[in-house]
Amino acid sequence: MSFAIETVNLTHYYSKGTVQQVAAIDNVNLQIEKGELVGIIGHTGSGKSTLISHFNGLLKPDSGKVLVDGVDIWKDKETLKQSRFKVGLCFQYPEYQLFEETVYKDIAFGPKNMKLSEAEIKERVLRAAEFTGVKAEHLNKSPFDLSGGEKRRAAIAGVMSMEPEVLIFDEPAAGLDPRGRKDLTELIKNYRKQTGSTVIVVSHSMEDIAGMADRIIVMNNASVAMQGSVDEVFSKGGELREMGLNVPEITEIFAKLRARGIDVPANVYTVEQGEKILRSLIEGRSAK
Amino acid sequence: MIRDITIGQYYPGKSVLHRLDPRMKLILTFLLIVTIFLCKSFFSLGLIALTAVIAAAISSVPAKMMLKSLKPIVIILVFTAVLNIIYTEGGTVYFEKWGIAITEKGVNTAIFTMIRIVTLVIISSLLTYTTTPTMLTDAIERVLSPLKIFKIKVHTLAMMMTLALRFIPTLIEEIDRIMNAQKARGADLESGGIIQRAKALVPIFIPLMVSSFRRAYELAFAMTCRCYTGGEGRTRMKQMKLAFRDFSALVLCLAITAGVVVLNHFFEAVI
Ligand SMILES: Nc1ncnc2c1ncn2[C@@H]1O[C@H](COP(=O)(O)OP(=O)(O)O)[C@@H](O)[C@H]1O
Ligand SMILES: [Mg+2]
Repeated sequence: MSFAIETVNLTHYYSKGTVQQVAAIDNVNLQIEKGELVGIIGHTGSGKSTLISHFNGLLKPDSGKVLVDGVDIWKDKETLKQSRFKVGLCFQYPEYQLFEETVYKDIAFGPKNMKLSEAEIKERVLRAAEFTGVKAEHLNKSPFDLSGGEKRRAAIAGVMSMEPEVLIFDEPAAGLDPRGRKDLTELIKNYRKQTGSTVIVVSHSMEDIAGMADRIIVMNNASVAMQGSVDEVFSKGGELREMGLNVPEITEIFAKLRARGIDVPANVYTVEQGEKILRSLIEGRSAK
Repeated sequence: MIRDITIGQYYPGKSVLHRLDPRMKLILTFLLIVTIFLCKSFFSLGLIALTAVIAAAISSVPAKMMLKSLKPIVIILVFTAVLNIIYTEGGTVYFEKWGIAITEKGVNTAIFTMIRIVTLVIISSLLTYTTTPTMLTDAIERVLSPLKIFKIKVHTLAMMMTLALRFIPTLIEEIDRIMNAQKARGADLESGGIIQRAKALVPIFIPLMVSSFRRAYELAFAMTCRCYTGGEGRTRMKQMKLAFRDFSALVLCLAITAGVVVLNHFFEAVI
């Protein structure tokens, strides 16, 4: 079986041929399995956005290949066009792409471009709206009348409604409050569970990534520095810190507890996990 | 990519031209441009063209960049040259066929006009190459400040210009981002007829307008918070002072203008 997305020696330069030429991604080889939820972390400017913009052919590689479902997306024009629908890309601050008169029409923009039937479009719009929690009474409102959080949901619905095989989020929680972040994480996890599609999430927040990813890819200075399960990656706190990253705060707390001689596991990455362990620890003590 | 367009083509340097007072540079550029149009003979035009070339040489702006500023006008150059050759008649006839006559006067006029346009572009790009956009608008504000007596809000106009220049790169970046976002939703910006393409711009244009207005409000708010109340009583961090070199440059340019007038008088006029 082929990979959902595979890159072969992928390299991209910005400002090519000028003095400012920089390799934003340099010789990246990645495989993303079907149905996986992959988190991509890396410091600002490490090339995350550049990388994912190659997955649906928005950027053309300067050298190397991008294979979606085993097919080179730059093979011909039609393949490229199809890759836009196969791989949905939801940019950072997606609410700034809203433009239609009504929320409904905006969510329908993608499916319309796919030339689906009117009935199919409607079905998809309603499905995506329900999924992202866009209220039914908002569908006929202007997207510019919604609140910030509602706009974000509507914009995400606009990408989800294309029902892509691979859905990519670039910093989906940027600028949201803690509650919004949590809701969004749940939304992405649910989406994956219900549709079984491949999901890629780029994030700054180690907590968010730890809470949902099956696998983490760490970008550093235009290349892949590390990849592996949540355990594997976050057990290398030292290396991460050298790259300007960190482990989730809860993991640090547990590391400090261990340093004080309290017997807790080292592989704790989410607050929920941590809470359970601490509670049982306290109960254990009070029982004594 | 779209962001490779450069506007405000300042080339950092330390040459005399860079150090001249922007106000003086603005006035002298204007004076030299007027002088170009005073030229009537090849000798007077030669003088001003030579001035432009020497100025370009001492400006420390690389020749490659100077040539780059000439690139957009190549079509205009060719076009005017062809028109001049075909439509101006007089003097020796070099060639005559199909009702087209190429004459000595035609060729002379064509060459004359071409040199004139090239000189014009060199002189005006030297101004923008050696002066930052902010300095330039600052200079415009001060040079035009006498217009205040006609109740023209010179400061407001200059501030608008500065802000517009400042936001061009930001807007280009924004367009880039919105285009990518809509392309990711399958928007087709490249194919179709003219109407279809115009329609395809709606998803780009509306978000751009929305964010521009948002930016404008935010900026106005930020400026108000820093007590901006317009030009009244505003002082400047960078004071402009005319130096000896500014007066020397003025004298030199006036001499060139006088030279052009004199040469016009002594040599045969081309146009
Ligand atoms: N459009 C562009 N033009 C020139 N350089 C760019 C552009 N976009 C990004 N870069 C540069 O490429 C590098 C990678 O950027 P990006 O992929 O946006 O990183 P990230 O998403 O990880 O923050 C950075 O050094 C950035 O400055
Ligand atoms: Mg980014």
